[in-house]
This record gives sequence, structure tokens and C-alpha cells, in this order.
Amino acid sequence: MTNHTTRTYDAVSVGDKLPPLVIPITASLIVGGAIATRDYTPVHHDKAAAQAGGLPDIFMNILTSTALMGRFVTDWAGPDCTLKSSSIKLGAPNLPGFVMTITGEVKAMDAADGSVEVVVEGENDVWGTHMQGTVRVALPREA
Amino acid sequence: MTPEAKKDFEDRIQTYVGREISARKRGLDDVNKVMVRQWCEVMGDNNPVYTDEEFAARSSKGGLIAPPTMLQVWGMEGYSMANEPKEDLQRELHKIFDAQGYSGVLGTNCDLEFKRDLRPGDQVYAREVIESISEQKATSRGLGYFIETRTVFTDQSGEEVGNMKFRVLKFVPDQATQDAAAGAGESEKVAAPTRIHSPRGHDNAWWWEAVDQGKVLIQRCKSCQTLRHPPRPMCGECQSMEWDSIESALQGTVFSFTQIHYPKVPGYQYPLVCAVISLNEGTRLVANVVGCDPEDVTIGMPVKGVVEQVDEATMLPQFYPAG
Amino acid sequence: MTISVTDKTAIVGVGNTEFSKNSGVSELSLAVEAIRIALDDAGLKPGDVDGLCTFTMDSSDEIEVARALGCNDLTFYSRVPYGGGAATGTLHQAVMAVATGMATTVVCYRALNGRSGHRFSGGVSGDIITADAMHWGWYTPYGLMTPASWVAMFTQRYMHLSGCTRDALFEVAWTTRNHAANNPAAFFHNRTFDRAEYDSQKKICDPLTLYDCCQESDGGSAVVITTAERARDLRQPGVLVKGVAQCAARDMEQMTSFYREEIAAIPEMDIAAGQAYAQCGLTPDDIDAAVIYDAFTPIVLWQLESWGFCKYGEAADFVLDGGLRLDGRLPTNTHGGQLSEAYVHGINGIVEAARLVRGTSVNQPKKSVQHALVTSGVGVPTGGALLGAMT
Repeated sequence: MTNHTTRTYDAVSVGDKLPPLVIPITASLIVGGAIATRDYTPVHHDKAAAQAGGLPDIFMNILTSTALMGRFVTDWAGPDCTLKSSSIKLGAPNLPGFVMTITGEVKAMDAADGSVEVVVEGENDVWGTHMQGTVRVALPREA
Repeated sequence: MTPEAKKDFEDRIQTYVGREISARKRGLDDVNKVMVRQWCEVMGDNNPVYTDEEFAARSSKGGLIAPPTMLQVWGMEGYSMANEPKEDLQRELHKIFDAQGYSGVLGTNCDLEFKRDLRPGDQVYAREVIESISEQKATSRGLGYFIETRTVFTDQSGEEVGNMKFRVLKFVPDQATQDAAAGAGESEKVAAPTRIHSPRGHDNAWWWEAVDQGKVLIQRCKSCQTLRHPPRPMCGECQSMEWDSIESALQGTVFSFTQIHYPKVPGYQYPLVCAVISLNEGTRLVANVVGCDPEDVTIGMPVKGVVEQVDEATMLPQFYPAG
Repeated sequence: MTISVTDKTAIVGVGNTEFSKNSGVSELSLAVEAIRIALDDAGLKPGDVDGLCTFTMDSSDEIEVARALGCNDLTFYSRVPYGGGAATGTLHQAVMAVATGMATTVVCYRALNGRSGHRFSGGVSGDIITADAMHWGWYTPYGLMTPASWVAMFTQRYMHLSGCTRDALFEVAWTTRNHAANNPAAFFHNRTFDRAEYDSQKKICDPLTLYDCCQESDGGSAVVITTAERARDLRQPGVLVKGVAQCAARDMEQMTSFYREEIAAIPEMDIAAGQAYAQCGLTPDDIDAAVIYDAFTPIVLWQLESWGFCKYGEAADFVLDGGLRLDGRLPTNTHGGQLSEAYVHGINGIVEAARLVRGTSVNQPKKSVQHALVTSGVGVPTGGALLGAMT
């Protein structure tokens, strides 16, 4: 992110679409994400453990998915925004070799606290919907 | 499980609802720049208020903050999860599920609420409670139960900084998928799916083979010259079983259409518009309309088709708006 | 018609299991439970049953059902193809068997784990390899592979030709939901919605959104048919079958009749309706209430036209005048329909139609119901039945 300006509440409208974010899923990202979130559950770094659980390979942990969902929205909103809440529902797992595309749309706005609600969906190219969720973020007003 | 055994099991797991998994406990690491920077590096998050001290100081944040979605990270157990997870109430409950065959575990939902930004030096305390256990559900992973826990995060002064609802599915792993998974070799990758192809038999293989070659054919009765699609072995007009075909010029109009939203099937590209096309030759053909905003497709719209490769393994007629 | 079936047979017992999203039992278990409830309702015993009829799609074999229930010798068993098109088709079979003396007491049943087992929204993709896989092969490569997508294709064309808007689809969905809100057996008991909620639901296939689509359900339903004479001695007032017909019209495909001159039409239902009325001499004016197969909202509109309650293209006006409501011209889907009670492939609709004639619907209209219509699913070979009170 080179542009460090923050979007203002008044510059946003319901129905605005966020620029899609394409994330190649690699074993490195899955393991790195698991460790960076201190999630050492074996299925996120040990292929044999993942296979015992019924999947062909290690898969992304929910904390990494949540992190990517938050990043997707703050990349768009800018550094002066304030995250208020996030809610994620996982679908198909993200495995190495997949490509996930994250899309989002402004679904609601609350003038009282200057917050906007972004509905986010992450879809991988192999198994479909990986995550669906909502991120609420407060934006500054026009100066 | 007999109905009685199931009831005993469900009564037993329900006794865990409302109980505390862990009392308010301080995280192993306080909020710190090192873990934040490493997290940002992996997540590709370049927001300067997390890592650029000068920028953060000048910003509305007035100094560095931790990424809010790291909230749960500060209370994680760490490396012991891989080997000997600590024995707590949650483990105890999971073991009851494991004993009944519900050995699979999957995080399915996480709702986070952030009350204030955390800064380096902040201490994070967590208190976790089992909030509810669902009825048995049939899920795509197998039969199982959802366990919902609620964690309240507080700081060094006891103020709430945020909270979390976390839901896991405890399920019976499907033996067939387990076997298939274990059979996947070291080098094998899960391949990107293609569109679902038509089976090919006596009456239709020739048609699909022509599509593979870039042509759309229309079956024609040799006896009465009537065109027909989809292909059939006999002419409904004169009962002749002799036929040949003509190549369609793929010009026509949209007779009806629908944009497919749900379910999204892997291997298909969305937005996706399916249409019944009236070909100028007089027969109809179901195909996709592409090359325009789905909102702009109308009944009666003139279209021109071309047979295209739509994925690694599939050739299909696709129709574009005709000027 | 040389042999008349009118008034020869009667529905004497009806039964539904609990409807759920996860029955936790086998489909066979649901089937025999529904049949037992229907037999209890009639005051009959399994040993009285000598005929069974279900859908080709049903997984519970007749002889397994007979054995589990403890039926006696069966002299009639039969199945009807084409999904929900078979709903009143089973009644058609039973009536012919009983009216001709091939059997005396026939049970029509359907039981499915339609949510916890195979789901219809999964479509015809992938693992289903059947004789008609080649037929689906003309559509699946393009992504047209669910019942909603096929119905959407007809709906778009119908709206284009008739000027019908989503206002009419909303009225169908809203009316049936209100009926379900009052039905303790329905999924949507006590749960109504308004236009804003309807409009905010996710899109399925344009122009259909979530509330235009029925419930994927686990459940079983059964109805018992016997001779009109015998019906007089049984526990419940018999419900006469006045007319019953089915039709596969020229040049149709299963769910994808895209090649007929006009596709925004269901000629097979027009023909079945004409036959059923002709059998008994009733006219649309004689029909007091209806259960119209509602896997999706727009298909209710087309059937109102087929059965002569309004002219082609005028069904939207008919429903927007409140025609389907309890105080309207034709109180319809008073149980909540498959949109809001449960999707048991239309056999729960026959159960409700019989209740309407008995006067025992949870939403019994104030007016007297002498005759009720019940129909099968459309887009496939289909049909319907006209039921009447015993005098």
C-alpha cells in the first residue's frame, strides 16, 4: 500500500465495491500465518495430521483468514480508519496451490458513529467460497 | 448410537454449557512490536499505523497500534498445542465428543468486537466460557455439533478491550474422504476444476466432438430436411433415422435468460448468464451470454456466437452481443 | 372416457411426519411412520393395505415398506416418474387401481431426507450418473444445473410476455408464509416477513431470490385411498376424488422444455386440468380452495391460469387482488405450501387438500369448502386432482 490517505465517511456510498484482492495460497503462507497467529494446531503445518482429518493437505487457519479479511478492508479504508468488529464464517478450506479472490461491497452505513459495514467474500478457484463475513469500520468525516 | 445412548450423550455435553474454560488470565506475551511486525509481514498488511512509528505518531492514532484482528493472538496457548495441548475444560469436552466418534474439529465462525485499539505494552487478559452447544446438525463435513465459546478480553486496568464469539464444529470425519486424503501422494496437488462435461454417447458424442473442433452443428433429417436440437436418433416429423448435419452460423437472439447467483459451482466463472438462444437456422440452443454486463442482457437481444476454450479442458459456444 | 373414476374412490386417511432439517432417521423410517399415521387417521391397520404407490425418485422400496409396516399381500404397486410431477400422479395410480378393483386400499407415500441427505440445490452436477445424464449434459457445462435455474429461465420469459413483476411473486411468498406462521408443523411457524425482508434475501437465479424458493426438508407424507363405499364406514369423513389426470405434453423435456414454440407456458397442466374437469363436470367456479405445487413462487401463477382461475398472463392480477388469501377467491396453500411448511414433493399438499375438504385445516377458510384442487410439480410431466366432500 503506497497511498496512505484515508477514505472519509462522506466519500462512501452503500453499494460501493472494494477493489478485489487476489491471494495465491501457498504452504508458506499457511504455515507462516499459523505461526504468526501462534496457532500450532498440527493440521495447519503437518500434512499427515491434515490428511488424518480428511483433507489432502494442510489448510489455512481461521485467524489468518480473519487477518486477510481485515487487511482487505483496511487497505481500502486507509490508516486513519478504526476497525469496530469483524465476523467470519468459513466454508471450503484454502489449500496450497489455490488462489483466493476477496471481494467486498458496502452494505450499510451508520451516520451516528461514522461506521460503514462491508460484506466480504473470499472465493478460492478450486472449491469455491472459503469465507463470508462482515467488517465494520469507522471512517473520519470530511475535515 | 441407540436413541437412549444419544440422549445420554447429549445430556452430558449440555452440562458443560455456561461453564468457564479459563478464568481471567494474562496472555503469555503483552502487546509488542515484534509479534505485530512479523504478523504484518506474513499477512501482507502494510498499514503504517502498525509498524511505522513516525507515521503512526502523526496519524489520528497518535502512535503505533496493534492490528485489531490480532486480538485472539495475544491469548493463544502456543507451541504446546502441537504436542501436548493443555488439559482444560474445552479439552475435556472435546474428548467426550472424540469418544463418540466426533473426532473432527473445525473452526467455522469467529465474531470479534473491538472496544479500543491496543498499543505496544498493553497487557491482554482473557476469560473464556462455553456459551452453547447446538443440536446435532448434518453438515457438509459430516454429522456434528457446533460448540460456541465466548471470550472477553480486558487490559491491565480491567477494562474490556474486545470480545470474541468462536464456533467450532465437532464432527464425524467421513472414512471415504479420509482414505482418499491419505492416498493423495506427496507431489499431487488438488487441481483446479473445470466445467462439468456432458457424458458422450451414441446420440450426442458427434455433436460435442464438433464443438471440440470449434463448430456447432445442427442435426438434419436426411429424408424431410427438418432441423432438430438437441440431437435424437429419429425424426419426429417423418420417423426417418437417417440424418446429417449443417454448421450453425451462430447468429440469433436471446429467447430467455437467467443470471446464476447461487450456488456458485467451482470451475465456473461468475457473473454467469445462461440463455436460450434462438438461432437464425430455426433451432434453439442453451449457452452462455458473455462480453457484456449481465444487467444489459434482454430478451430479443441479437447475439453472435463463437466456440471458445472456457477452461483447460472445455470448449463451449459463447454468445456476445451483436452490435 | 369409457370408465369413469369420479366418486368411485376416497381419501380416508392422511399423515405427515415431523418436518425438519435433520430427521436423524432413515427415509424408510420416515415413510413407514407417515403411513402409520395416515392409517391411524383412517382407522385402518397395515394388514388392510393391499396397494402401495410412490415416486420413482423415492428410496423406500414398496416391499421394504410393506414388510416394515406389517402389510398383508400386495396386489398393486406402482411408481410415477419426474420428481414433483408425480405428486398427484400417485393418486392417479391409486384411484385407477381401486376403481377397477385391482386393489381395495392403496397408500401413496413419499419420504425424503431432502436436507440432511441429498439436497436438490446441489443440482444435477457431478456424481449423478443416470440414464438422463446426457439430457442434463446439454445444460450443466453452461452452469444451468439446479431446479431454480431452469424455473428462472421460464420465469424471465413469462414476466417479459405478461408484464408480471416481482410484486406478484412477493404476494405468493408472503401469503403462504402467513399461512405457515399459523401452522405449528411448518418450518416457518410464527415467522412472518415483510417486503423489505423479502427484497433483502440473497439472489438465487434471476429473477428468483431466496424466499421464492421452497424449503429443503426431511419428512414423510402419506394418504390412504379406498372405495367410496368403504370410506363411509371409516373413522374420518371420506374425501372423494372427483377427477384426477396427468399429462406429458408434446415435445417436453424434464425441467428444460426450451424448444417448444412458447416456453412461458405449461401445456401439460392445461391438458391435465381440462381432463380432470371433464371427468366430473366441475368448472373453476366450483373450486373453493386449492393446494398448488409451489417449489418456486412463479409456478403458482402459471397453474392458476392452467386451471382456469384467470386468463393467460392475468395471474399476477389475480394474486395481487388477494386471490390466494384466506378471504380471497381461492384460499391457497393454507398449510404454508412447500415454500413455508416443508418440501415433501407435494404429498403434504394432498394431505392439506384433504383437510380443507374435511374442514380441518389449521387455516380453514370461513366459507364452506365443497371442492378443492391439488396439483403436482411443473416443468415436468404433471397433473392434478379435484377433491370433493362426501354427501
